[in-house]
Amino acid sequence: MTAVPDIEFRAVTKRYGAVTAVSGIDLAIPPSAFVALLGPSGCGKTTCLRMIGGFEQPSEGQVLIRGRDMAGTPPYRRPVNMVFQQYALFPHLDVEENISYGLRQARPRLSSREISLKAGEALAMVQLAGYGRRKIHELSGGQQQRVALARALVNKPAVLLLDEPLAALDKKLRTDMQIELQNLQREIGITFVLVTHDQEEALSMSDFVCVMNGGRVVQLGQPSEVYDEPADLFVADFVGKTNLLSGKVAGLSGELVDVALADGTVISARKRAPLSRGEAVSISLRPESLSLSVPGGGSLKGIVRNRIFLGSTAEYAIEVQGIGSLLARADHGIGRGSLFKPGEPVAIGFAAGAPLAFPQTKNNGTNQREDQHVEILS
Amino acid sequence: MSKSYRDGLPISPEKFVDQLMRLKRGSISRRDFLGLTGLGVATAVMARELGMMPTPAFAAENLGDRMSIATWPNYHDPQTFENFKAETGVAVEVNVFGSNEEMLAKLQAGGSGWSLFVPTNYTISTYKKLGIIEALDMAKLPNFDGSQEDARFTAEGTIDGTIYAVPKNWGTTGFAVNTKKLTKPMSSWKEFWDTAMAEGDGRTMVHDYQLTTIGNALKYYGYSFNSLKQDELAKAEELLLKVKPHLFAVSSDYQPSMRSGDAWMTMCWTNDGAQLNRDIPEIAYVLGKEGGEIWTDFYAIPKDAPNKPAGYALLNYLMNPKVAVKEHLANGAPSTDARVNALLPKEVLDNPILYPAADLLKPLEFGAAATLTDPGRAELMARFKAA
Amino acid sequence: MPAGAETAFSMRGSLFRKNLLTALLLAPAALWLVVFLVLPFVAIAIFSVGERAPEGGYQAALTFAQYANLPARATAFWNTMVLAPVGAFACLIVAYPVAYYLALRAPQRWRLILLALIVIPFWTSLLMRTYAWMYILGGRGIPALLAYVGIEDLRLINTPGAVLLGIVYGYLPLMILPIYVSLERLDRRLLEASADLGATPLSTFIGVTLRLSLPGVMTGFSLVMILLLGEYLIPTLLGGGKVFFIGNALVDLFLQSRNWPFGSAIAITLVLVSVVVLIVANRISTRLSGARRVDLI
Repeated sequence: MTAVPDIEFRAVTKRYGAVTAVSGIDLAIPPSAFVALLGPSGCGKTTCLRMIGGFEQPSEGQVLIRGRDMAGTPPYRRPVNMVFQQYALFPHLDVEENISYGLRQARPRLSSREISLKAGEALAMVQLAGYGRRKIHELSGGQQQRVALARALVNKPAVLLLDEPLAALDKKLRTDMQIELQNLQREIGITFVLVTHDQEEALSMSDFVCVMNGGRVVQLGQPSEVYDEPADLFVADFVGKTNLLSGKVAGLSGELVDVALADGTVISARKRAPLSRGEAVSISLRPESLSLSVPGGGSLKGIVRNRIFLGSTAEYAIEVQGIGSLLARADHGIGRGSLFKPGEPVAIGFAAGAPLAFPQTKNNGTNQREDQHVEILS
Repeated sequence: MSKSYRDGLPISPEKFVDQLMRLKRGSISRRDFLGLTGLGVATAVMARELGMMPTPAFAAENLGDRMSIATWPNYHDPQTFENFKAETGVAVEVNVFGSNEEMLAKLQAGGSGWSLFVPTNYTISTYKKLGIIEALDMAKLPNFDGSQEDARFTAEGTIDGTIYAVPKNWGTTGFAVNTKKLTKPMSSWKEFWDTAMAEGDGRTMVHDYQLTTIGNALKYYGYSFNSLKQDELAKAEELLLKVKPHLFAVSSDYQPSMRSGDAWMTMCWTNDGAQLNRDIPEIAYVLGKEGGEIWTDFYAIPKDAPNKPAGYALLNYLMNPKVAVKEHLANGAPSTDARVNALLPKEVLDNPILYPAADLLKPLEFGAAATLTDPGRAELMARFKAA
Repeated sequence: MPAGAETAFSMRGSLFRKNLLTALLLAPAALWLVVFLVLPFVAIAIFSVGERAPEGGYQAALTFAQYANLPARATAFWNTMVLAPVGAFACLIVAYPVAYYLALRAPQRWRLILLALIVIPFWTSLLMRTYAWMYILGGRGIPALLAYVGIEDLRLINTPGAVLLGIVYGYLPLMILPIYVSLERLDRRLLEASADLGATPLSTFIGVTLRLSLPGVMTGFSLVMILLLGEYLIPTLLGGGKVFFIGNALVDLFLQSRNWPFGSAIAITLVLVSVVVLIVANRISTRLSGARRVDLI
């Protein structure tokens, strides 16, 4: 694919004094994608977003927007717009004035008819038609969110930047807005770059997830890829729920590795990095890949300690002697027997290929990763 | 040339601070900035040392240990009060004021706390009319000798044969000229006003005081300094309004500006004239030959004085010629008392600023109470200042 | 219903107790206001309908002659009405960049020190500081230094420029502080949002920073303006007393010609003008900034 990426980072490093916030990132975001920058707080995701917006300058490297190096280009000359955390709406302007703020800055000037027309369209787009003369403090959180969106989108940016836009909303509203944002992105067809620390949000909304940790990009891929094939232990742990089991490499055969757990059980796992015999490893097992059965079969034996019934599924906390507590999620399919009760012994099995083996590291597997150019092929 | 940059400075840093401190003490000129700030309470308690040595003369009466006096800035020898304290044990608190009117206002309001004060001649009748000053008990002032006083200066202290105030010193109101800047010799008020609009343009000051400013404008036409006549005042106003745009300032605090060279000519009271001339010889003091003001400052005791015995004691002390002579040497104004003049050095008596020639004194007039309190003149002054 | 009546009664009782407590808590402040604000004001109001006694001062009467005579000080009123806004505006022009720097640009750890440097001179009396300027601008100050480098006979003192300088200098902290407070409270993300939406730094300043700091600006402006309405010291000391302001008129009437009733009438009028200025300033600031009130620091 030869399309020029909407956003490109080339060996970008950002330091604040002695603190390195972003270190040597290479990244290319293709046109018309919904990309989430996901990571724990302090991972550098917001700094990256602010470097795109022009509020921070890289200490080293280049940030390019649609192929143009943005070094020295102030925020007001960049073809991107941002939806700020807590929205940063102008309290002294009403809804329509907020939305038309960007239009009024356009040179050559737009006619006031044009401005009010576009502002009206933007209001309609976020379902706030008729709210133009409201004061900002008269709006609910969700309405303010929409105004912030309209205010940014009305300028027809090449890329829309969203800094934790849903963090201030309650859960129900957040879910609605997630869908709305996705729909909007598809309708408009421009690139959305969303910063979030909420992995569910990232997985559910975006076309691509860029997982960041410690100032670096750890993995960039489609949500299912990131979930199913985590690049390292950190991603496996951070994205979605997983069980981590410690063990030692007992044998190697191609892509597979035999891992001896603390209790002596040997599990066959797919290795996600080069491993050597005797090396300490962590095994990631997604709760949904575990299957529970009455004692007799399975690889591991345990006792149900807790059960949370969720309707279509049920989550179990299972105590396994010598290994610890495991989380299992089982479908509650029609025709399947009754649920296991706390105190009942169970056998735990898992599909071949489900366990993933990672080298054990002190820092959740972040530092081992080479700086590499991550590119999405779409 | 081993000239330091400091040589070129107009004033040394030390001297600047000293000047500021003087300003703070309020000792620069009478009716000056303290008056215009309305802060006529820059008080200083003199003589803090404990020196309880009452002289036998005062021992009979209990003088207490403190009293306060209301007077003008830079008007006394501080040593006088130190000595008084040493002799009587009474510490003197000095309140300095900017104008007679302020003193009057404070005294009229009551509770001033003064046991002695220094009013000018034309206010005494008003104080008497308002009943706020004491008819002096001359038995308590043995040091005062009326026969030695020049009657010309004592008259206004005596009303209907009763003595209400005794004179401290007298003086005149003329003008001071920097003769290096304004070289043409001057001897009249006409020249003063004409020069203000010509060579002295932008460099002339008049008092922020209707009595003298209007009075001296009246003199331009040869009218009485105290005139209350409508047509004469109208002429004076016409002159004042004409001069106004040419003035450097309307202010009674003229010493600093004259000393710094910003102003070249100003209306001026005797003692200021003497001080300016002493320090900067090219500043001359001129009495208009048409006349002008002559004045006397008196001592009087308020009716509500909290410590009358001490007030009398201090007044009697100040009437001692040996004490008074030091006062005159300190403030530079001429004395009314022949006994004091006898003790003054010859060069003081020969100083024409302090003791002008008789023909110059002759046309001078004392300011009148009516002149001071006339509402018409007050309004004229307001119009002049507003112009 | 006995029970209901009892409840109503006890509610009324507790309400009464609450009001009593409120009254007690407010009493000291109210007493202070009455003794030091209301009573003097009433006294001045009574003076203003009186007559000047022959020897000066006040003499009881009921006449509006003093108010009818106000045009006699029309020039003073006019000069003051010009000086106050012009002086306040000059102050604003100088104060705003300082407050802006302090609130938005100065390094955090320097901020308090710089603020202190602005406030500390205020601990000296304005009179002293103005006198210092008299010396600096006077013939032995800057003009003498200029003469040293060959610029002769320059007069700085007793000029309108000197008065303006003195006013700006004297009232600067009063203007800086409220503006600083409102700028300091300004949400920085609004500035970023504005830049993000394509506004140049200048448009951001005008459209956001200035607009949102208007409550502070209006507070400072009205504060300085009201104080300037009564100002007489600086024009007298640095302007040579050649321009007559209401403050000068009041000083002369109370301390020189001792026409207290006329002075009182002028004082009452000045108070009314000040109140009008405050109301207008409040209105303007509310309208322009969307804020619902003016914060007095």
